[in-house]
Amino acid sequence: MKEKKSVKFNLQQQHQNGHLSPFKFAKLLDPEASWDKDQLGDVLHWIRQVVALVCGLLWGAIPLVGGIWIIAFLVISSGIIYGYYAMILKIDEEEFGGHGALLQEGLFVSIMLFLLAWTTVYSLVHF
Amino acid sequence: MAASALFPNLKYSDGLTVVGISVCTALVCEAISWVLIYRTTSYKSLKSSIDKASKKLETMKTDSSINKPKAKAKKMDRVETSLKESSRDLSLFKFKSGAVVAIVLFVVFGLLNFLFEGKAVAKLPFVPVRIVQKMSHRGLQGDDPTDCSMAFLYFLCSISIRTNLQKFLGFSPPRGAAGAGLFPMPDPKTN
Repeated sequence: MKEKKSVKFNLQQQHQNGHLSPFKFAKLLDPEASWDKDQLGDVLHWIRQVVALVCGLLWGAIPLVGGIWIIAFLVISSGIIYGYYAMILKIDEEEFGGHGALLQEGLFVSIMLFLLAWTTVYSLVHF
Repeated sequence: MAASALFPNLKYSDGLTVVGISVCTALVCEAISWVLIYRTTSYKSLKSSIDKASKKLETMKTDSSINKPKAKAKKMDRVETSLKESSRDLSLFKFKSGAVVAIVLFVVFGLLNFLFEGKAVAKLPFVPVRIVQKMSHRGLQGDDPTDCSMAFLYFLCSISIRTNLQKFLGFSPPRGAAGAGLFPMPDPKTN
């Protein structure tokens, strides 16, 4: 009897967990979803890190050389972040501290990650 | 080193060693921080009170239903004071326990310096500005500004890997705490 109850409980948990993951990803693209400041900040941070890693790996592999490509990365990653919160999520930036607060989420760390990935790939692949 | 033995054809395989050691150091430091700081009830209660106070402050700033501005300002002052006090207590608490992590980082940096002093561990794909060259060309022979020293690569690793690891594990300081701003560094009290 107890075993049946625990199995039922586990199945319920799995059912809930199965619903949890798609719900979270759906929220990332849902303009009607409500956002907590911390949640939005975290999402923007991780988007910046992914863009930094991808750009760093790409810039290093091609390779793209020169300080101008750091500016290019900043423009691309900021453009992606702005496009995401303004056009996909359609949020009111005033509720979250303005454009500055949203655009600076994870900015410095993403620059460091980008430089690390770019330098490492460039050094290993082209020398 | 280890990477140069595994990848003898790569000129800058030592850069991989530096990155690998940085990753391991970040994991060890976060493990130490978890044991000494993050699992303690003091830290959990301070973090919880900071989160509550900053959320309360935000709600009060946006809430227009309170008609008496003086009473609202007084209330907000009280919450802000409480937030500042909790942030200070949190910083102090982490500082005391962060000394162990600081020693580990010091030892690791010393070891890397011993292994790679005077050696370019990577090639920069850009020419850094003069002030950055003081770190990126530290201890290297020659005038090529694109030679990258261990110190600069380790600096990049420390900031990017440790900060993201702290964030991933949920150990980043709360946004309401003092010190979180334009350039969030890895939590300095655990450095």
